[in-house]
Amino acid sequence: MLDPERKNPAVPIEGNPAAALEELHTPPMRLQFGPSHPATHGTVKITLDLEGEQVVWSDVEVGYLHRGFEKECETGYYYQNIPYTDRLNYSSPILNNTGYCMAVEKLFGIATPERCNYIRVIGCELSRMADHMLCIGASAMELAAFTPMLYLIEGRELILDMVDSLCGARVTTNFVRIGGVSADMPANFADFARPRLDRALKLFEDADKLLTENPVFRQRMEGTGYLSREDLVAWGVTGPMLRAGGEPYDVRKVHPYLVYGELDFDVPVGEHSDNFDRYLVRLEEFRQSRRLILQCLEGIPDGPVDADDPRVRWPGKGRVFNRMEELIDQFKLVTEGGMPPAGEVYHAVEAANGELGFYIVSDGTGKPWKCRCRAPSFSNMSPLSKMITGGQLADVVPTFGMINMIGGECDR
Amino acid sequence: MSAEKPEEKAPAAPELSPLLEKVLARLGDRVLAHRTARGDDRIHVARERILEVVRILRDDPELNFDLLLDVTAIDYFGQPDDFETKLQVWDRNRATMRRLPQRRHELALPPRGSEPRFAVVYHLTSTRLAHRLRIKCRVPEDDPKLASVTPVWPAANWLERETWDLYGIVFDGHPDLRRIYLYEEFVGHPLRKDYAKHGEQPIQEYVGPGAKEPRRPH
Amino acid sequence: MATFSSANPWIAILKGLWVSIRHFFGNLGLFLRGRQDFAIHFPEQRLVQPPALRGMPVLAQMADGKERCVACGLCEWACPTSCITIYPAETADEVERYPEIFDIDMSRCMFCGLCEEACPEEAIIMSRQIEIASYSRRGSLWHKADLLVPVNQLKTRTDYLRRNYER
Repeated sequence: MLDPERKNPAVPIEGNPAAALEELHTPPMRLQFGPSHPATHGTVKITLDLEGEQVVWSDVEVGYLHRGFEKECETGYYYQNIPYTDRLNYSSPILNNTGYCMAVEKLFGIATPERCNYIRVIGCELSRMADHMLCIGASAMELAAFTPMLYLIEGRELILDMVDSLCGARVTTNFVRIGGVSADMPANFADFARPRLDRALKLFEDADKLLTENPVFRQRMEGTGYLSREDLVAWGVTGPMLRAGGEPYDVRKVHPYLVYGELDFDVPVGEHSDNFDRYLVRLEEFRQSRRLILQCLEGIPDGPVDADDPRVRWPGKGRVFNRMEELIDQFKLVTEGGMPPAGEVYHAVEAANGELGFYIVSDGTGKPWKCRCRAPSFSNMSPLSKMITGGQLADVVPTFGMINMIGGECDR
Repeated sequence: MSAEKPEEKAPAAPELSPLLEKVLARLGDRVLAHRTARGDDRIHVARERILEVVRILRDDPELNFDLLLDVTAIDYFGQPDDFETKLQVWDRNRATMRRLPQRRHELALPPRGSEPRFAVVYHLTSTRLAHRLRIKCRVPEDDPKLASVTPVWPAANWLERETWDLYGIVFDGHPDLRRIYLYEEFVGHPLRKDYAKHGEQPIQEYVGPGAKEPRRPH
Repeated sequence: MATFSSANPWIAILKGLWVSIRHFFGNLGLFLRGRQDFAIHFPEQRLVQPPALRGMPVLAQMADGKERCVACGLCEWACPTSCITIYPAETADEVERYPEIFDIDMSRCMFCGLCEEACPEEAIIMSRQIEIASYSRRGSLWHKADLLVPVNQLKTRTDYLRRNYER
């Protein structure tokens, strides 16, 4: 419950609003923005004190989608938690699958085969494309630009078609396994993917043409939601928001994982650290993701997709049906889970919104002692109060849209 | 399970990782123990000195840990870090531990150890130098208090609120320590191991601003 | 970063209008030429799904009308949401065991496919059935008799799975 007298000390107020209130003899208007507001794509409650149109105090309340991901993980085997990670950032689920599985692989000390890494990169970049399309489309729609949303959703459907043919589900993918992926790529995937990627890019370019030079859109986006580069780093912001502030921190470049070290891609960096630069960084990242996928489709080697490690990866069904040892192995792995050695790891991947880290503590049994998800949305949301205080009420919507808070990930 | 002290567990350190060398040279005896495992470097710090340590880590130009990634806690139940249990295949303890849960989603807990119960974990990274470090502080159960690092990194604001919410660890000097995910009337801290997963909460009357008058009987 | 034409904003708006008009006439042309797939009229038309599709889990029924399941309980263990309930019983057949009760609570199932991966008999298979709505909560509890599907109707999925068997 919010104490009406309470001021958030973490957010210093510019100027002296108290003196201004004395003169005017009007109390500031308290506005409850959310939890379910049509202009926010995410369940969050923002309490705003308005002085006219100006926000003089704000308080952000998250947790409306809290469902105990970490508690749930502690009671499930390592392989059982993979479907739960789909539900973290539900607009780019394969990225979460990859992050979790790579953390567990680091715990076991497993290296995955090359083909598996390429397939994972394809899945990750498809997810990133879908996430950026949804973010830009939804944010534009909240600024009353409805047409780009239609184009981007159509393009996102094409990308989800590819995800669907990879793993059999559009959003609840459950694609990556510890030590491999659930299934090899379909044989004709490259021919299936290339026209769809081209078509998605064409739709994306159309949305770009509608938005980027549009004066209304630019006036809403330019200069709003500013946070200096030092503040961004100090507030723990990562991902496109940090890069829009001029800091080229990208986990794919800084700590290359999978095959990102061998692939050729650029990290776009903004200058002004406002919403418009965040939008531009996302635009460019979409094109870079497409470039990465095309490189992967070219360079993907043949070979196995699963690590040959009987501690984690379930044996192939052909052997389970016919041989006793593998049948016993299957029973042991399902009923006890793979048992990593005791210890702890932190592994991070670059998710669509920033650094997605998994910190897993193992006590040597088949269930994690602790499974912590370092959610980028959560850290990116924390300076929202600072970004909107002192600005106009109308700036809250684009700022919130460009943070791209995903409730499932922020609230876990 | 033997209750080893973290000091004893610090290996004879045949080789320090380059980062740990720099950290140890700079921090000296403030580091209680250190370890490099699976490519991750971590140091243990006494909880009284956490603020001092993180200021040095952030301000030193060679370390330059300017980005606080994560603050969380672990309920170790008094067990030592890394659970030095030396498991073997036919270990009787392990066999019983595995049979204990009658329902699969129940959790078998080890006996309480002698160490402080909680560990608060900080993950730091540097945007310029691209290295990562983990800091652990042991916090006892009867006095779960720790200095807040919010003055050093404002990013800790929400992360510490989350740790307070889910583990009940109090951060001294935090500007606004209240629950972030759960409601204020929530009883207990759900990520503690002794909080039952299927536990129920008492129903609370809403008493805040805007609450309705209690309805009069007819 | 991208560069912008800081010209007259009206030109930018006209450019945007041109994009919309192009889309409008493109779609109109496709419509006049008889392309009807802008929307799929669901009960009459079906989306073409890839062979990888994971629908609801069903039990494979063999030619003699019995299930292939031997009630080993692995799917019950592997299920993250505990939505499967099995009561095994013994039979005089060759397989010796069969599930007397095999219930799947479809209101809890999240279509993850771990039961199918765990099954050592190819007995529980993610079918292409995705319509699981019911009028009551009781209706979303599927019993063994509802779940049995002849094996030959599951051919798309089993073919897809067998591709990965010898890995």
